[in-house]
Amino acid sequence: MLGPRDRVIGQIYIEGDLRVGGVVEGEVEVTGDVEIDDMAKVKASLAGRDVTIRGQVNGAVVARKRLVVAKSGSLFGDVRVGRLAIQDGATFSGKVSMGAGAATAPAVKAVEAPTPLSEPEPKLATEAEKPAAPIVAAPLVAAPKITPPTIIKTAAPAPVAELRVAGKDGKGRPGAAPIKGKPDKNKKKRR
Amino acid sequence: METQEAVAESTPMETDGQSDSKRDGQKRFTLGPNDSLEGKLTYGGSMAVEGGGRAEGELRLGGNIEVGNGSVVKALIEASNVNIKGEVEGRLTARDKLTLGKQAKLNGDVQARRLQIEDGASLNGYVRMGDFEQQAPGS
Repeated sequence: MLGPRDRVIGQIYIEGDLRVGGVVEGEVEVTGDVEIDDMAKVKASLAGRDVTIRGQVNGAVVARKRLVVAKSGSLFGDVRVGRLAIQDGATFSGKVSMGAGAATAPAVKAVEAPTPLSEPEPKLATEAEKPAAPIVAAPLVAAPKITPPTIIKTAAPAPVAELRVAGKDGKGRPGAAPIKGKPDKNKKKRR
Repeated sequence: METQEAVAESTPMETDGQSDSKRDGQKRFTLGPNDSLEGKLTYGGSMAVEGGGRAEGELRLGGNIEVGNGSVVKALIEASNVNIKGEVEGRLTARDKLTLGKQAKLNGDVQARRLQIEDGASLNGYVRMGDFEQQAPGS
């Protein structure tokens, strides 16, 4: 649970559920459910099982099971989901991929994820799969995805890029990440 | 005789008793189970495709369109309110609201001012919301 005054910039991997009330920028991967509360502002790629959005989200979303954008929610970004519900009043722009292909791939990842407990970071790089590239380069790749929905496009890319760098430095263990991350990235590329 | 003619002339739109039904004084027709439509339709009123009816081509409606359960529409669609419970394939523009029911299947890019998707609906394509008049139909 991240309260309204909490802020996270960087990469988060959580085993379990996550509820966001504040600001999150970067990448978020959660094995369980994700809830984005009314006041939350998220500029990040999100991955989770059930994802519920009541606040503002800017970034790609993967919901292995279900994505719900509630009345108060707004979502700009491409979406891969098993099921999708958008309530009247919600705002959504982006590409929707639904069904077997969309939901399966991330689900497999999630199964792998829990095993290497010690290394959350690489998993994040993995799940971010749209970046598909080294960590620093990732934001650049992610940016175009956010672009099509228009409107907030200029805001999104720049901050994300900075954050990413900040997050990595902050954790001070970049060495561990690349090792795990590389093979996964390759997998992604091939597909 | 004379009086009858006068009546008919004075209310040319209203007296047209032939149309299926009316809602808010709007024209409306329905494609039923054995009906199919192919080609380009430009229509000021609303239409419904129900019970296995089919439509293919291009539908530009001044009013609303409703695609019922079990019906299939493969068309470029433009209408005010679009309510889908069946299957739709093609680019779709809802000047007001797009609603996808539980059983709906929609394949294609979507532009809508408001959007409601019920859990269970299937959607594949790009979705755009907001004032689409300003957006070029480029991508």
